[in-house]
Amino acid sequence: MNELADSRGRESACRPGLLRSFAAILRDAWLAFLDARILWLLLAAIAVLFAVALSARVEPQPAGRRYLDLAARALSADMTGIDLTKDSFTDLAGRLDGSLSWIASADPLPADADDGPGTAWSVTLARNVVPVAGSLATADEIASRFGQIPDGRLWTIREIRETTTGIAAAMGSQTWELTVDPGPDLRILWPHRFSLFGDSLELTRPEGAPLGLEVFILQKLLSNGIGGTILLLVSVVVTAAFVPTMIRKGTLELLLVRPQPRWQLIVFTYVAALLFVAGLLGLLILATWVVTGLLTGLWSPGILLALPTLLLFFAMLLSVSVFTGVVTRSAVAAMLVTVATWAVLFVVGLMHMQVVASRIREENVGRPRPVSVANALRPQPQSQPGRREKPAVARTPFHTTTVARVVETVYAVLPHTEDLDTIIDRQLMRDFAVGGRLRQLMESPDFQWARGVGLTLAHTAAFLIAACVIFSRRDP
Amino acid sequence: MHAGDAESSTFFLKFAFSALSATAMTAIEHVVSVRFLQKHYGPLRALGGVSLDVERATVFGLLGQNGAGKTTLIKILLGMLAPTSGSADLLGRPVGSVAARRDVGYLPEDHRLPEYHTGPSLLDVYGGLQGLARQERRRRAAELLDMLGLAGREKLRIRGYSKGMKQRLGLAQALLHRPSVLFLDEPTDGVDPVGRKQIRDLLLAERARGVTIFINSHLLGEVEQLCDRVAILKKGQVALIGTVPEVVGEKASWLVAFDRPVPADHHWNTARLTPAGTDGMWRLHLAPVTGIDRFLDEARDRGLHLRHLQQERGTLEEIYLQLADAGGSSS
Repeated sequence: MNELADSRGRESACRPGLLRSFAAILRDAWLAFLDARILWLLLAAIAVLFAVALSARVEPQPAGRRYLDLAARALSADMTGIDLTKDSFTDLAGRLDGSLSWIASADPLPADADDGPGTAWSVTLARNVVPVAGSLATADEIASRFGQIPDGRLWTIREIRETTTGIAAAMGSQTWELTVDPGPDLRILWPHRFSLFGDSLELTRPEGAPLGLEVFILQKLLSNGIGGTILLLVSVVVTAAFVPTMIRKGTLELLLVRPQPRWQLIVFTYVAALLFVAGLLGLLILATWVVTGLLTGLWSPGILLALPTLLLFFAMLLSVSVFTGVVTRSAVAAMLVTVATWAVLFVVGLMHMQVVASRIREENVGRPRPVSVANALRPQPQSQPGRREKPAVARTPFHTTTVARVVETVYAVLPHTEDLDTIIDRQLMRDFAVGGRLRQLMESPDFQWARGVGLTLAHTAAFLIAACVIFSRRDP
Repeated sequence: MHAGDAESSTFFLKFAFSALSATAMTAIEHVVSVRFLQKHYGPLRALGGVSLDVERATVFGLLGQNGAGKTTLIKILLGMLAPTSGSADLLGRPVGSVAARRDVGYLPEDHRLPEYHTGPSLLDVYGGLQGLARQERRRRAAELLDMLGLAGREKLRIRGYSKGMKQRLGLAQALLHRPSVLFLDEPTDGVDPVGRKQIRDLLLAERARGVTIFINSHLLGEVEQLCDRVAILKKGQVALIGTVPEVVGEKASWLVAFDRPVPADHHWNTARLTPAGTDGMWRLHLAPVTGIDRFLDEARDRGLHLRHLQQERGTLEEIYLQLADAGGSSS
């Protein structure tokens, strides 16, 4: 009877719960992960990258007058309801209300204050109204519209007083005296000098570049760009060995004899690898956020969104790696196939972007060229008399070519990893209001983030399920 | 229980076994029960209808040349391979089920332990997969490492282990969760003689505890010392099965020595004697239908006293080689 009870007791004690099995695989994978020397090289490389970033100096450049001018120009348009994440500057330009505004004078307050993003200004604003097309504005209208750059407020008006004389009003001319305080988003657009190693390596033009653009580039570079690429590449190399090592002859038998269904070995190893890479990515992205925050004082958390998107991208690569590892039992093959998949996705994604850009170009034919905030802020080059614009060469738009169709067809079935990148870009642009080529893509009506995420997840699941099925059915 | 019995009462027994499930374990006499097991790899026949039983708390030795089907049989029993036909039960459960593996320890041949582990960390992982609680894992790992002579090497990674150390750790992982059946493929491979003795003692202690041990080995002497029963596989079939004495058989020859010299041409009525060695030893072949008593009577009648009498037995090695030769000449 005792024997019976003992046997029952052992039976229940030896029934491994999912959690305990997973913890065991996690521990195994963790030791395998730590054993990879390349991981330590990677961490050292990333530490160097961040040390270099931390050596940067970011300083505001004098630009107050230009920004006040920009606010005045914005005043000339009816900006109500404009959302730059949806509307292009082209739309915006079409909203001119038949008036022209400019800054007649601007002086810092107090008079000896710096020309910087934290300074208040005393401003004289002048406005000319084209008769018939526009009408005279009231002080309240000016107050509600001045500085309303759509992503946020450049300026807030502390005080406004109309100084228009009767005769001027009759001629459609108005003037106001304003006292303006810097708005919360002004810093994002304010030009800053950016240099590395103290002042030794200047990376911007002398007049500086909008701080938001600098943060955007820095965050992209550290997380999505160099940092993310190195990290994911090393992660691919390290994790490619997990499954082949686990299922090699002599090691596999030691696992198959355990009371787990076989799929658990694959899925748990997959999840364990994903968790470690999530940890590394989390560290990288958090460090990026902290470093750019410390350097610039801009703490918009949009970059943190790179964790789920980069992780999803890696999840897809890892499923390819696991699948190849199960089929070939070779770490080298798993690594090569995964890197090749990455390369194919990158090239197809890049070509697809060209197709989209080409389509947008054609749609924009005849419409005013879109301008970005960043471009609008840059001093415009003086037009050179005698210099002629090159005549446009008539050629077949790229998006109508056979290559483009093939690219679109291939792209339609591949995981849309390029979309994952765009998700980050869109978020960063929302945070830092910078435009340019990326904005075009961002504004593409083709862009559906849910489809990108869904397709990537579907591919990941398909590879993983295929790996589990093959592994479960094959004789060791 | 014999094969015939099992066949005649299959339905009832299978039903009873599955219904009793875990509680039936202690009542089962045959821990391993294999019936007409076949395994084909394409045109290649690895097992051609193997039937055998292994009783509880015994050591069973599986012998055979390379490619005889020993490892295939073990892998089928452990649920790693699916048989082409036939049936196999382990601890009363059909092999291949997760439940059948819960109470089993296995040391594969040519195992490769993950080299990034230390002994304790590897046992911790395998213990976790086996469902042992953390404290139990640690306690048991320390106990086994000590028992197998690996104490003091806890910090050493497996990549720094000698072959013998790896073998000991392999054995530790098989014993970790106190399984009631052990499958050991060449358990003393690469271990020095002292270590082999330790391992033999350990296995005998496990058997005394009620553990059934299934050994696959080429070390015939060791099998002879350890095993209660053996089976010799040949080309995927059981060529011989039984207790060691049954398998090696008894010969009708004896070795005798007398208290004084006997001339070589001395005539005996009950036997024929030929010199065996230089020590006054004779090999004695009894005449047909003659017992040893008749010879002893004749010797006494002639005034001869015996200082040595020993029945000659075959060794497992002889039998094994005989079978191998038979295979060699037939193929």
